[in-house]
Amino acid sequence: MRRFSKEWMLVGVFIFLFALMSILSPDKFLSLNNLQSMAFQLPEFGLLSLAMMVVIVTGGINLSLTSTAALSGIMGAFALSIMNSAGFDVGLTIAVAIVVSVLTSLLCGLINGSIISYIGVSPILVTLGTMTLFEGISLNFTKGGAISGFPEQYYWFGNGTILQIPVPMIIFIVFIVLTYIMLEHTPWGLCVYMSGCNPLATMYSGINVKKVLLKVYLFSALLTSVSSVIMTSRYNSAKVDYGSSYLLQSITAVVLGGTNIAGGYGKVMGTVTATLILQVLSSGLNLLGVKRYIVDVIMGAILILILAINFINSNIKFKTKNKSHNSDSNSNLIVSLLETLKIAKKG
Amino acid sequence: MKQFFKKKESTILCVLICIIIIITLNNSTFLRPDNIIDMIKGNTVLGIMSMGMLVVIITGGIDVSVGAMIAAITVIVGKFMVNFTGNVLLAFLLASLSGILFGLINGLLIAKLKIPPIVTTLGTMSIINGAMLYYTNGTWINDIPESFINFGKITLFKVPDGQGGTIGIPIQILFFIGAALITWIILKYSIIGRGIYAIGGNPVSAERIGYSLDKINLFLYSYVGFMAGIAAVVHTSIMRQVDPNAFTGFELQVVAAVVVGGANILGGAGTVFGTLIGVFLMAAMNNGLILMHIPVFWQKIVLGIVILVAVSIDVLQRKRTLRKLAKVDID
Repeated sequence: MRRFSKEWMLVGVFIFLFALMSILSPDKFLSLNNLQSMAFQLPEFGLLSLAMMVVIVTGGINLSLTSTAALSGIMGAFALSIMNSAGFDVGLTIAVAIVVSVLTSLLCGLINGSIISYIGVSPILVTLGTMTLFEGISLNFTKGGAISGFPEQYYWFGNGTILQIPVPMIIFIVFIVLTYIMLEHTPWGLCVYMSGCNPLATMYSGINVKKVLLKVYLFSALLTSVSSVIMTSRYNSAKVDYGSSYLLQSITAVVLGGTNIAGGYGKVMGTVTATLILQVLSSGLNLLGVKRYIVDVIMGAILILILAINFINSNIKFKTKNKSHNSDSNSNLIVSLLETLKIAKKG
Repeated sequence: MKQFFKKKESTILCVLICIIIIITLNNSTFLRPDNIIDMIKGNTVLGIMSMGMLVVIITGGIDVSVGAMIAAITVIVGKFMVNFTGNVLLAFLLASLSGILFGLINGLLIAKLKIPPIVTTLGTMSIINGAMLYYTNGTWINDIPESFINFGKITLFKVPDGQGGTIGIPIQILFFIGAALITWIILKYSIIGRGIYAIGGNPVSAERIGYSLDKINLFLYSYVGFMAGIAAVVHTSIMRQVDPNAFTGFELQVVAAVVVGGANILGGAGTVFGTLIGVFLMAAMNNGLILMHIPVFWQKIVLGIVILVAVSIDVLQRKRTLRKLAKVDID
């Protein structure tokens, strides 16, 4: 019963769905073409989900995620197109563009993080404000249009392959491992979980919660910027509303992945599995000819269903645990009573 | 008077007054009655919905499915009117019933399965939205019956419009006022209202006092659904057509209006008066920036900064009062 954790249940669901889709449309779903196209589509969304997850683990939420991605993509795209048309060296252009993207994103994260941790405004409000703000800045820069005119080599980040494996997928895997190590195998990661669980207790145990929180938002921004680089490269342009539909989807993926929306619990593996499930569902149903809107309905239903199962599961566990706990404490009580009686007799 | 300045709402009211002064100095048409009436009419849907959202946010919950609910109900009512009858009363009845039904689904999931509100409503949002878009395929409904359109054109009481003529108050504004009044009465004078604040403050102790968490949650989310129904009909009466995609991203606007109005997103605090100020602030900003001839691209930047400043000031103020209290304790 213990091994049957949320994450393994998700892996089971994923395998089931993958098998189901393979049986329903074997020639299409299992084709190299489809598998590759899924691997191209997944990383940008997966990285955003990871970025959302680190924040949700601390009990916060980052509504400015996609607008940060859009803004950093747009800044990078500006650098690319300006330097490209000015005739700079291609390698330098791309390096500068990526640095610009990452720095923009980190700046956005710094704004979020410092207002949240040092002023103490609740994350949902701050990021609601910065979402509007960043979107406004992006709009102001682009006037609503798309920026294009990138050097051809930039295309590689989103569309290239190494040994048949898409480059974005490789980048995604690198960042999965990085996030996994950072969150689950460093002291900082432990602090993140602790401050998500009980910030006050964490503060009293001598940890600078504010600093931890600030770093969380910076890390989230870093993941966002990587996603934005992949996105701009894949679409070969940058625009305000690229990726804006990922905002609520990424929350869905994170929650589906077993992360507690109130903070304190969440595994990288769960989130990644959840994004895989969503990807298999949307691609598979698409191949089966199911309309896009019905896919939304199914995803919403799955989200609620899995949480309902989790609730029932934990309820059963809680009840059995409670029972054994009660009997334990009863026997303890009896033992201690007997002991006091003995002492009383001796006295 | 002193008490008034201690209230949370006073800060945001000052911000609103400052903004109004700035806009009026730039363009005096802002304060003309016809402009104000137009502005309020354009934001009645936001206002009505904020009243529903306020009640949920006071309990520490949130409902992000409001946009999807309004859109779905406009489609339901639109189709009903096109195919059957343009009877206004029936439209309202159908809208509020379907709204309450949507809300009940949310409420049941939240109360019985204990799924966090934000997650439940995210799920129902994508279900409702998906089903609605599948049904309509994104096409607009244009042939709304004449009787309903005429209802939307009704105006009451004549007031001078500042240019010598008179202008009537559109009927839609009445619904806004009605929604605010009902919410105010529920929050201030009913047992459920007390329970709503109690749950927002501390759900465990509220339950120990004897409030039923489940019942209040069911009521809450149905109430939001009901408000969504009313808002949907009002929206249709203003627009005279139905656009299934008109409400994407609307939920965040509603949340913004409510929290800018001083409601605590963690629950336990929030007033109808504050929310009204929040809605007016949003309305004034949108309208004022247009009147000041500021390019559309700047509007979001200004809006974002105002939200950030408003919520930061609020938190800083609260911290200061807390510090004062702590000092008294030590003395």
